Amino acid sequence: MRSETGFDPALYDRFPTKGRRPKGEEDELRRIWCKPKGWEYLTVVNNNYVGIYYLGTAFLFFLMAGVLALLMRAQLAAPMLEILPQGVYNQVFTMHGTVMMFLFAVPAVEAAGVLLLPQMLAARDLPFPRLSAYAFWAYAVGGLCFFASIFVGLAPDGGWFMYPPLTSKTYSPGINTDFWLLGIGFIEISAIAGAIEIIVGVLRTRAPGMSLDKMPIFAWSMLVFAVMIVIAFPSIILGTLLLEIERAFNWPFFDATRGGDPMLWQHLFWFFGHPEVYIIFLPAAGMMSMIVATVAKTELVGYRLIVLAMLATGFISFGVWAHHMFTTGMPPMTTGFFSAASMAVSVPAGLQVFSWIATIAIGKRSFNAPGLFVLGSIVIFVTGGLTGVMVAMVPFDWQAHDSYFIVAHLHYVLIGGMVFPLFAAFYYWIPMVSRRALSERLAKWVFGLMFTGMNIAFLPMHLAGLQGMPRRVYTYLPGQGLELPNLISTIGAFMLAVGVSLFLVDLARNFRLALDEGNAGNVYDGATLEWLPSALYSTRSIPVVRSPEPLRDDPKLAEDVEKGRYFLPGSATGLRETIVTSPLLAEPQYLQIMPGPSAWPFAAAIFTAGFFLALTVQAYSFAWVSAVLTVASVLRWLWDTDRKVEKGEVDIGAGIMVPTYVTGPSSHGWWAMVILLVVMAMIFIMALFSLAFLWSNQPSFWAAPPLGDAVLISLLYGVAFAAALAARPLLRRGPTWPVLLFLVSTLASGIALWLDWNGWNATGLGPEASGQGAVIYALQALEAFALAIGVLMAAYCAARAGRGLITLPRSNTIDLTMLFLAYCAAQGLTGALFGRAFGMP
Amino acid sequence: MRSWAILLGGLLVWAAHFFLLYGIGEFAGASTAARGGVLILSMLALLVDFWLARRLITLRASDAFGRWRADVALGGLALTALAVLWQALPALIG
Repeated sequence: MRSETGFDPALYDRFPTKGRRPKGEEDELRRIWCKPKGWEYLTVVNNNYVGIYYLGTAFLFFLMAGVLALLMRAQLAAPMLEILPQGVYNQVFTMHGTVMMFLFAVPAVEAAGVLLLPQMLAARDLPFPRLSAYAFWAYAVGGLCFFASIFVGLAPDGGWFMYPPLTSKTYSPGINTDFWLLGIGFIEISAIAGAIEIIVGVLRTRAPGMSLDKMPIFAWSMLVFAVMIVIAFPSIILGTLLLEIERAFNWPFFDATRGGDPMLWQHLFWFFGHPEVYIIFLPAAGMMSMIVATVAKTELVGYRLIVLAMLATGFISFGVWAHHMFTTGMPPMTTGFFSAASMAVSVPAGLQVFSWIATIAIGKRSFNAPGLFVLGSIVIFVTGGLTGVMVAMVPFDWQAHDSYFIVAHLHYVLIGGMVFPLFAAFYYWIPMVSRRALSERLAKWVFGLMFTGMNIAFLPMHLAGLQGMPRRVYTYLPGQGLELPNLISTIGAFMLAVGVSLFLVDLARNFRLALDEGNAGNVYDGATLEWLPSALYSTRSIPVVRSPEPLRDDPKLAEDVEKGRYFLPGSATGLRETIVTSPLLAEPQYLQIMPGPSAWPFAAAIFTAGFFLALTVQAYSFAWVSAVLTVASVLRWLWDTDRKVEKGEVDIGAGIMVPTYVTGPSSHGWWAMVILLVVMAMIFIMALFSLAFLWSNQPSFWAAPPLGDAVLISLLYGVAFAAALAARPLLRRGPTWPVLLFLVSTLASGIALWLDWNGWNATGLGPEASGQGAVIYALQALEAFALAIGVLMAAYCAARAGRGLITLPRSNTIDLTMLFLAYCAAQGLTGALFGRAFGMP
Repeated sequence: MRSWAILLGGLLVWAAHFFLLYGIGEFAGASTAARGGVLILSMLALLVDFWLARRLITLRASDAFGRWRADVALGGLALTALAVLWQALPALIG
């Protein structure tokens, strides 16, 4: 493959350019990417600010969940203590697990991506900065409201995986469970928004020449991480939605007495829940791979193997979800498949660990702060991985299931696989954003206390578990041999907490935010692009990347970049902009005009949080008002976007000309929409799986489907699909045509959906009647929701057409609406036929 | 898409094999027919892996990126061939 897009790679030889750059070019960049003042800190969208906010908030949740852990350990320090009442203990362990998994681990690595990726890829910013801001504010506001539930005794108390029937209305009548279901569902939206941003960012905004084989390992890990989020998180979104509907409207998805099945929840939860572990681990592994090579002052051993391992982990981790369900009586052959896959997934994890060990072995052993945390991480993670292989074996799992052995295993995996790498990353990358690096002397204490404390806390739990101590008990009887291991665990937990506190002291002493120059710089001698001199606009010019470690291979690169001798040394249009490159070889394709600061993403996030919070406390009027305001804010935020700029083509450096407006499959907006549709399709596929699962497990509750209207419904959806697709080519004749076709499409889909609903209704099967009825109507509700958004998008197109804001002959707004409405029709047709296919006589 | 298909070919074969096996286990139980189905699927998956590997070797990429892609893809094929075999064992010897 010589060129991916027709771009001539020989043009790269024009860089670095010779001669002086015009005066004022850099000042112009500073003006465009200026520092916020006062209230503008709320409306800022630059990745560096949003990344720091994100990371800071995630760390705050880590601390708060850590305090909950200390409360639990205090309660368990001796038998029969009454520090926490039983009910409160249930809330505390549920919140600890939930906050660590949903509000700390995933957001922390996503935050690291938002903060580091643009610098590492030498982009000015990620492609959808307002989406990043929205994702952050939604997460921060929603997360804090969710956490506050514990102060009023309304925190969820059903454990972090919320199994029904315990969490059904019958056994959990309060709103505690609703806080979890709606809160987590909402926070997942934020995670998915971040994932879309990261996928498009990594694939489309890399520096020219940074082909996939030269991409930093951290970017690879973030790419796999984000794709995994897109595939895994829809399952939990659907699960929380179904359980909330069951609780609110009595639709029996998980009620075995009425044709539902609580096992369905376990499948939906763990299809998300197990990949989640790798979703957390992979970015941390990416950080480790970057750090280990730098601190060992050598090349990373097995770059290709690590990429392969990450891709393989991304796949195989989706084949292990049911190993959490070995004790539920699944068919033996299925159990065997999951056991085999659970063991197989350790192979790619092992590849990465061996690569790190080999890198350390051939390089220079260095015991600086990141180096220590890297070594600690390897030891702890391998220990957790080995107990993981033990519990992948079915007979052993039967013994250890739901005991403290599992608590020990998961903490070894998560602390070794994510927390220690994150601390290594803090020490390693803080000099990039702070005037001073953190203290090496204090770091040794921090590491010593955390490493020792961690092992003292969790090693004895293996023993307690094997001695029969179940997880989630708020106390235990004396004389069972559990006193000593529990006391030791408590001492270890507090030691770990002292280590973290010392880290906070170090932060307070040395961390001084310096995003706009003046940072401590490349103290560990890293070789990737984030160590180029940078300011709020990222690097002064965007370099051509010719190797995986550009700073090591071209010692003059930093100077040339700083003097503007590469791509985009100034602003070509006077606006915020970055170069969009091709996904494989990173060849320059066009100049993306980026949106600047705006209050609307912030407002949209606040109202979205208000909507979910109001639903939880059953303030329905307030919820609807919030929903309307959310939609209004999002539309207002979008209104400024997708405008054609005056200059059709611009020089991005050395006379290389690229367009400023691109539509269709090459555009970054198209990519984001396709990923969004994959998310929606995954939610829908999991709903179809739910129907198939109940059909196979609860056949006695099955009713015959209506068949007479299937042809008409199919025809109508076919018309809707064709009308949507026809909109794009007909835009050449003027903006009225696509708007009319969108109207036809939504109308045809709407009628088809009504016929579908009517057909099922006529059979007498209601949503409350059985699991089958509940899922059938849930499928229709999903379609109705998608269609409602489609109608909104069509109306938005009409409004823009009315104001002359649709660009001709091609428009991104029209393209994206077309994709969405075509998807709606395809989804509706699939749902209608699938529902009828199951249970046909 | 072609590049991604080459890069992820083996892993896609693994995914198809795993989910079909899960379907058999869930819906057809542990009957002799189900075990036969597992055997046929696994042979098929290994054949596809073998065919992909042969194609990759004969393609002989001329540039650095192509060679890198082929190396990663071949590694993926080797890994997933192992995983396919391993995964079929519970049905074949269980």
